[in-house]
Amino acid sequence: MNGTGTGTAAPSETELGELRAAVRNFLAAKSDEHAVRTAMGSERGHDEKVWRQMADQLGLQALTVPAEHGGDGLGLVELGVVLEEMGEALLPSPFLSTVVLAATAVVASGDVAAAERLLPAIAAGTLTATLAVPDHAGSWDVGAGLRVTATGGRTGAVLDGIAPIVLDGATADVVLVVADGPDGPALHVIDGDAPGLARTPLRTLDPTRRMARLDLDGVHAEPVGDPASLTAVLDRVLDVATTALAAEQVGGARACLAASARYATERMQFGRPIGTFQAVKHKCADMYTRVQVADAAAREAARAVDGIEGAPAAGIAAAVAHSVCSEAFMAVAAENIQVHGGIGFTWEHPAHLYYRRAKASQLLFGGPAVYHERLLARVGV
Amino acid sequence: MPSEMDEFVATAREFLDANATRRSGSADLPEWGVGEDRITYFSTDPPEVDAAKVAESRAWQRTRYENGFGWVTGPRAYGGRELSTLHDLVYDGLEAEYDVPDTGVLSLIGLGMIGPTILAHARDHIKDRYLPAMYRGDAIACQLFSEPSAGSDLASVETRAVRDGDDWVVDGQKVWTSVAQHAQIGLCLCRTNPDLPKHKGITALLVDMSAPGVEVRPLRQMSGGADFNEVFLTGVRVPDDHRLGEVDGGWRVALTTLMNERATVGGEGAGPAARALSLPFLTELLRANGRLDDGATRRRLAELYADQAATEYLNHQAIRKLRAGTQPGPEASVSKLMYARNLTRGAHFAAEVVGPRLIADTGEWGTYSWTELLLSTPALRILGGTEEIMKNILAERVLGLPKEPSIDSRSPFRELRRSGTAGS
Ligand SMILES: Cc1cc2nc3c(=O)[nH]c(=O)nc-3n(C[C@H](O)[C@H](O)[C@H](O)COP(=O)(O)OP(=O)(O)OC[C@H]3O[C@@H](n4cnc5c(N)ncnc54)[C@H](O)[C@@H]3O)c2cc1C
Repeated sequence: MNGTGTGTAAPSETELGELRAAVRNFLAAKSDEHAVRTAMGSERGHDEKVWRQMADQLGLQALTVPAEHGGDGLGLVELGVVLEEMGEALLPSPFLSTVVLAATAVVASGDVAAAERLLPAIAAGTLTATLAVPDHAGSWDVGAGLRVTATGGRTGAVLDGIAPIVLDGATADVVLVVADGPDGPALHVIDGDAPGLARTPLRTLDPTRRMARLDLDGVHAEPVGDPASLTAVLDRVLDVATTALAAEQVGGARACLAASARYATERMQFGRPIGTFQAVKHKCADMYTRVQVADAAAREAARAVDGIEGAPAAGIAAAVAHSVCSEAFMAVAAENIQVHGGIGFTWEHPAHLYYRRAKASQLLFGGPAVYHERLLARVGV
Repeated sequence: MPSEMDEFVATAREFLDANATRRSGSADLPEWGVGEDRITYFSTDPPEVDAAKVAESRAWQRTRYENGFGWVTGPRAYGGRELSTLHDLVYDGLEAEYDVPDTGVLSLIGLGMIGPTILAHARDHIKDRYLPAMYRGDAIACQLFSEPSAGSDLASVETRAVRDGDDWVVDGQKVWTSVAQHAQIGLCLCRTNPDLPKHKGITALLVDMSAPGVEVRPLRQMSGGADFNEVFLTGVRVPDDHRLGEVDGGWRVALTTLMNERATVGGEGAGPAARALSLPFLTELLRANGRLDDGATRRRLAELYADQAATEYLNHQAIRKLRAGTQPGPEASVSKLMYARNLTRGAHFAAEVVGPRLIADTGEWGTYSWTELLLSTPALRILGGTEEIMKNILAERVLGLPKEPSIDSRSPFRELRRSGTAGS
């Protein structure tokens, strides 16, 4: 163990169990398959009532927002529990964009004014936000140039260019944009309805996660934080975001495993449950093994990102989790369809929704070629 | 609780400093290009070298035992400390920092599996007689379970034990018996009542390996050496007080052994193979072979490392559960599957990098030496319950999938033999 944890104590299993039960009950009531499909087909892609209830009844948006900005100041270990449940239920929601990407970027930037302006509203569930990193490769490679440029001074910049794929970009109330400025790449914030901003919703592989293209033509922006620390900020956001995503992926994979195990027990062919055939049984055991290993990777990454005593270095554990959980979810989602046979290939069966979510999640921050190299970079190879 | 653990660590550290040399360098990594060019898993040494190593193992185990580190979790009555499994793991972690003889010959089977079984099922005077001797390093124990026609289907053992006065007379053949050539005792599963269904007519006996009628014949493994053996038992007399559990109740005894086996096999984090497949060592391997900038090779390295790290995280999680007082669940089987998989993929990865210098020994450091690991990994998918059997267990016991329709669990064993359905 290359322990770098600063000695934060881990939350107790009892507390985590209570949090899990609360989120699970909430999602069972608010985000069953019918609700997911309704949200999927809706204009904004998520149910705004559920978003508000998440804040009012459970305070989920506030969980990881620092206490001085109106949140609970908890960590990824707790947030991971929430995201795992959301992933299992396939909840369509701007949670990942708002609470994970945008809020983490604001906190990491150290910009107190921006934090005071945005974080209390995020915590209260009254503001949605997202982060656009419009690099050329789609892998947060800001050093190689950006497709949005910033001109102007410290008090107000003007942004021009294109951000081709932005998570929840069409609905976010505010958008944090990394743009190439006079001091190199820098973080800015723009309003979602700013003049000069055109937002085009895109067709998406995963209908439960919306994406938009942003065209910026002389959009007024406020700088956020110091450009000198941008690389560190983005590294932190990436560690947090991939760790959060890993938890969500584990939840999705767990749902696929449960569906397969259930179906293998119920479905009869040749006069016996298909789960008695080893080709099916062993598939389920393989799925279980992948889920267990992915689960361990996601949890360890959360502990690392939270700086819990004895945890490995955050950058390494997050990269391990991103790779392992991406591949596990994809494999398990594909096998789930196979175990179900023809019914698994229908639109009406939820298996394809997980398959879509798995592939879209795997590619969200660049995909296998990128995350493998990132992992090697983090371990110094 | 923490202060008690701190104290344990301090005394362990003191003991190790006084009795062993700490490995040089920060990590316990072999330096590339330096030292013995071997990546050993199973032994490939000639018998006399093997015997010398066994003697070293025994001596180190005795030193541990005499200083209170020979059986950390065991009862005081048998020389143990009555501490938790966590203490045991902590001690192992500390000891890994030192250069000490490998005690696998004693611990993997005897201390890890047979000891706990004796503790759970033997009579008190048998425990008195064997347990301290085992944990002191005097008695090596082997597992006389598998037979030519009873492997995965272990409950089909045919070795007979017939009662004769105060003794049992044992006749039959065991196979794949690791460390039998060094062992003083063996735990033997015997058929005592063929008129009962196969799980119900088995009795477990503790056999003195030096008794007349016990013959151990080494079997050469594909890896070259002979770690496992055939054991022939001909009219071997075993006193009834050496029985573990009830007459015909040996299956329960066997389950104790098997449960401990799964716990032992998954957790092997140290040793030459683990060191050779560690990231720094593999990085040096790529560097030495000019492959550090090759995209395809890098991808495979990253995949390999990610799986290794995640498996390690899984083991950490199991340890944290232990610490919180929860018994480890099915993680052990998952770790075992992953361990075999990681080592197998690692060996093939290294082979690919080394290329043709793996097929012929050119004498170049760090090339042909990978053959030892490559030729050992197939066993990891077989021993201690095959990969397929592990998957059956995970699917049926954890996921609750239905069992296969079974034709042989209820009929008397004798009838299965006749109809040829057992042990197939
Ligand atoms: C290096 C080594 C050391 C060993 N040491 C010991 C020891 O010390 N003591 C001891 O008692 N034994 C020992 N064994 C034996 C080991 O436990 C057995 O080899 C193992 O349980 C498999 O039994 P088998 O070899 O008879 O193979 P079989 O059971 O004949 O299996 C052959 C193949 O059939 C598959 N198979 C069998 N049944 C099923 C099923 N129900 N479903 C799906 N697939 C199935 C197996 O997975 C395997 O692929 C050792 C083995 C090795 C390789």
